[in-house]
Amino acid sequence: MTIQVQDLNKSFRVHVRQEGWTEALRSLFKREYQTVQAVKDVSFTINTGEIVGFLGPNGAGKTTTMKMLAGLLHPTSGTIEVDGFKPQEQKNEFKKIMSLVMGQKSQLIWDIPPMETFLVNKSVYEIDDHSFRQTLDELVELLELQPLLGRPVRNMSLGQRMKCELACSLLHRPSVLFLDEPTIGLDVNTQEKVRQFIANYNREHKTTILLTSHYMGDVTALCDRVMIINHGKLLYDGELQVLSEKLTPYKLLEVRLPSSTRGPWESYGEVVTFEDGKLTLRVARDRVPLVSSELLANYEINDLNIQDPPMEEVITLAFQEESHDH
Amino acid sequence: MRRYWRIFKEFFRTCLVEELEYRSEFMGNLFSSLLGIIVSILMVQIFFYQTDQLGGWAYADVLILLGIFNTLQGLINFALRPNMPRLLLHIRMGTLDYVLTKPIDSMFFVSLRHLVFWRLIDVVLGIGLVIYGLGQKHFIPSFLDVGFFLLSILAALVIIYSLWMLLMTTAFWVIRMDDLSFLFNSFFETTRFPITMYKGWLRMALTYVLPAAFVTFTPASSLIGKWDGGATLASVLVAVIFFWLARRFWKFALANYTSASS
Repeated sequence: MTIQVQDLNKSFRVHVRQEGWTEALRSLFKREYQTVQAVKDVSFTINTGEIVGFLGPNGAGKTTTMKMLAGLLHPTSGTIEVDGFKPQEQKNEFKKIMSLVMGQKSQLIWDIPPMETFLVNKSVYEIDDHSFRQTLDELVELLELQPLLGRPVRNMSLGQRMKCELACSLLHRPSVLFLDEPTIGLDVNTQEKVRQFIANYNREHKTTILLTSHYMGDVTALCDRVMIINHGKLLYDGELQVLSEKLTPYKLLEVRLPSSTRGPWESYGEVVTFEDGKLTLRVARDRVPLVSSELLANYEINDLNIQDPPMEEVITLAFQEESHDH
Repeated sequence: MRRYWRIFKEFFRTCLVEELEYRSEFMGNLFSSLLGIIVSILMVQIFFYQTDQLGGWAYADVLILLGIFNTLQGLINFALRPNMPRLLLHIRMGTLDYVLTKPIDSMFFVSLRHLVFWRLIDVVLGIGLVIYGLGQKHFIPSFLDVGFFLLSILAALVIIYSLWMLLMTTAFWVIRMDDLSFLFNSFFETTRFPITMYKGWLRMALTYVLPAAFVTFTPASSLIGKWDGGATLASVLVAVIFFWLARRFWKFALANYTSASS
């Protein structure tokens, strides 16, 4: 189920209105429009079974791109192919192999148990009884849905609802899954469970997954490959690890030592914090082994921890890099 | 077609579950429906104190027409009206995206997804009134009458559905739906009486511009043996044209729809 995107562009015509009611009145007669380019010359390929993280700040063009891939928006120019289908043609055969989950929007019927929505989807997707049972049993087990099946959706917590939402969109066993902020608003525990589920599901069924998220945790836990987009342009497409090494050529050394210890810390690397016996140093990647062995040799060290810089920092740097280019 | 019938039955079942969740007050609704039909019968009777004909139709004939009106109204309130606010909600919240990613005709889905069962009381009462009217008239329709009736009532259903859909589709641009419902009601109310009651330009408009004449008048005439092949044919033709229009308009609206970005 490969996804191929070539020179994708999308621009919207938005109506601009000035403040004040005289302006509002004027806009009744003469509307001013502005063209906003939401996606610019984006190309990429996603192979079968890959999980790709799609990152970018609000309004970067993630959702617009995803909606074009799902066939909800027509591209202004460029081509999209999802398993040989052109999404914008909205063929039923295409809709049957894909699924879209939006963390902020629900498709479950509010007042009744989720099972009823499952049954509606069963008939809409023409799922036969046997495979429906089988898929449902599997999803119920993986997502621990059993206690939720008989409860009206309105009485569920956000996390419980999200799990049902996921089950609902996987009943027809899509081979391509678009996840738009699937863990938004969930507590850390539930986020973790949802991530594990997605990872397992992808491993079991070789589902191709494109995921957008604001939580770096989702991306680091699930995706080897990331695409970073900002102002509609694809800034980076590749391994997460490589990006991190390229943009942050240093690691963080967290050292715990007796609080009375003093030393020429600046000579080892950039001091990020130093208080109460906890020292954090920023050290160039190639110097990390040397610095750590020297520290261990010369000081009484309680604990030493070598860490990659937080992903947030990497991404922020990626965006800064882009603004330098301009 | 059979697939869509299956899906419709599924909608039916889910809505029943949904309604039982709230245990909507069956008795209260039955009472209000009964009152509604009694008031409209009384209204017809008031007219007939003054005259013994309404647009050339006798009392029993008008009752039959009223019965058809009531049945259609019941069907509209059963299947179409509950979906109007939902479509607006779908558009505003962006959940229309879910409808559009389903392998199903989106117009079918948004117009028939939600059903309100107790409105079927009006359908039953309407059919009862038709039968009562026929009894009053001491008239048993022939097979041919019934045939013409079925054809024209089918056309009427399609016309109503199409007009409703044309109106509902404007939800993509218009946010106030109360006004939309009001517009439809005003039109539909005109079919409560025989079209022959209206005179001059109003009658022309209700026949040729807004096809009110084909909604109750043609089916009722057929049932009381006064069928007119030309009118029936015209009603089928109008139904096809309006359905095509509604379909085109829906597609046009969808093409313009760029869902509320999250």
